[in-house]
Amino acid sequence: MTVTFTFLDWLWVVLFLLLMLGSGILFYRLGKRSESDFFLAGRGLPWWLPASSVYATHTATDTPMWITGVIYKNGMAGIWYTFFCGWAAISAFVSTRIFRRSLAYTQAEWNVVRFTGLGSELLRGWMAGWQFFMNMFVLGWVGIAMGRICEYLFAWPIWIGLIVFSLVCAVYVLAAGYWGVVMADFQQGIIAFLVIIIVSVWGIHTAGGPNGIIEKLEILGELDRMNPFAFTGWWSGDFPIAWFITMMLIAFLGGFGMGTTIDWYVEAQRIQSAKTVRDASYSIWWGTILGLIRNSVWAVAILAFFVLFPNITEPSEYEMGWFRLGFDYLPAGMLGFFFAAILAIHLSTISSHLNLGALYATRDLYQHYVNPQASQKRLVQVGRISTGILLLGSFFYGLIMEDITSWLIFALWIMAAGIWLPNILQVIWWRFNAWGYLSSWIANLGFSWLVVWILPELNVIPNLLDYQQFWILMILGALVYFPVTLLTKSEPMDHLVHYYVMSRPIGWWKPVREEAMRRGLILTNGDTASGAEQASRPLDTYPSI
Amino acid sequence: MIRKTWSAQQADEWTKEDWIAIVLSPLCYVLITIGAALAILLQISGFIMLLIGIVLTVYLHLVIDPKLKAISNEYETKQQDYLRELEAKVRWKSINQKEP
Repeated sequence: MTVTFTFLDWLWVVLFLLLMLGSGILFYRLGKRSESDFFLAGRGLPWWLPASSVYATHTATDTPMWITGVIYKNGMAGIWYTFFCGWAAISAFVSTRIFRRSLAYTQAEWNVVRFTGLGSELLRGWMAGWQFFMNMFVLGWVGIAMGRICEYLFAWPIWIGLIVFSLVCAVYVLAAGYWGVVMADFQQGIIAFLVIIIVSVWGIHTAGGPNGIIEKLEILGELDRMNPFAFTGWWSGDFPIAWFITMMLIAFLGGFGMGTTIDWYVEAQRIQSAKTVRDASYSIWWGTILGLIRNSVWAVAILAFFVLFPNITEPSEYEMGWFRLGFDYLPAGMLGFFFAAILAIHLSTISSHLNLGALYATRDLYQHYVNPQASQKRLVQVGRISTGILLLGSFFYGLIMEDITSWLIFALWIMAAGIWLPNILQVIWWRFNAWGYLSSWIANLGFSWLVVWILPELNVIPNLLDYQQFWILMILGALVYFPVTLLTKSEPMDHLVHYYVMSRPIGWWKPVREEAMRRGLILTNGDTASGAEQASRPLDTYPSI
Repeated sequence: MIRKTWSAQQADEWTKEDWIAIVLSPLCYVLITIGAALAILLQISGFIMLLIGIVLTVYLHLVIDPKLKAISNEYETKQQDYLRELEAKVRWKSINQKEP
């Protein structure tokens, strides 16, 4: 299809882009003040600002395609796929609280707060490099999704959609850093939510309203599509109960840990930008529930699309379903508004990953390992240079990325399987140490390639279902990191006591807690002794590795 | 039923209020998401799930909010010290060394 825009349509688009660029200009002065301002908005945001950023960032251009795909294929049961973000339910009251108290700028930096010595520094360096690469990768694949939408709508070459709008976004990210990101996210979140509701309601209305959808599903013999619990048996089929249980366990219990999904790394920045622990908790909880409510609206709209076009078999065709509801049925003059909302969805994700990748490059790589004495001005400069490198790298990735879906599943899902439990253990178990955690990363890199790609290719093992891959990778990883943890020394007790008094982690921390009590840093009734933070410091120990 | 006053230090401990939040929070997510979708389709079950989800969400926040406020107030008094430590660490400095 090709869409023709009127003057009014283009006016919407231009006005929106000017509004976004205005964010960069307005907050330029705040963003350049310091590293803390450029990357965390000075750690002073009320909960609703990072919450809107959580929502906006995780509404990307490929999100409606992906959700449309799983709902069109599985009916309402497909909505369970969207609960991968369910980790926020528990995290908001557990790991978010603990992470906010650590004050670490990034998850990489958290490693040297929780662990100590050479192992912690290796973890920090590895994680920072990996996150820089991952953000570039995410930017590439979100960018190429935008390229494909523009190709679909206007028959533009893919590179135009990939490059032009990301360049506009880069202007306000370079100028104002995280201040620009979060303020633009707030506006983009409102615009995107509004338009998602309008287009979805329009689509539902076009299909005959709720009753019309149900009647048509009945005529098609597809009434089961309304049932969110329509599974394909316990173990087999497209959507077995075993897969459902695995997904729910991974999603919700993952909230006890940090980094159990790729989204954590983005939220970590929002958590630290909140002005208090309470604001951090609510930002994660409310930002995520808003995303889930959006998914509910989308799910019904896709059922409407299904009854309008029930016989599409090609995924690449039905994945565009929600966009078609907008572009096929919205009245003239609204198409530009819809496209502006798609841009809002796109820019909010691009801006967040540009700034986040630059944060890892600046804080964890440049400042910590290259120039520890760098001034605040210099750090902001490096932040901007890193943003530019990420942008250029993302164009390169986007243009060479052909099979997005298989890469996406591998990078976000399977690659995380073997480190899911270690990501929880690092929070809840005092004995888990840097070497155990590092070994889990290394083991997972090897095992995931073997189990997902190499062994099936060599016919050593059959192609496994996703949930089977997850459990196998988890077991294989555990065979490595548990022995490594127990055969190496625990972190020094001074360091653990200091961490415990500061972060108050949940779980198995009894020996550390008892030591803190013995030192008088925590009183037996749960009170913290006056000046505990000073007394608990293992002075002069940090620089040694 | 709902504890409203916490000393800052007591709030630092993991208590039954935290476990109420940990259990109810995923339930709220599921009830609200599935309930909203089915309610848009005008299903009675959807409205019931959505209503229960909203009531539980309100209860969850009534239970946890006083505690989160107490934790936040207490932690903010220590935050500057911890931030100084973090800056020393990223610059490979001893905590006793002052910023130039």
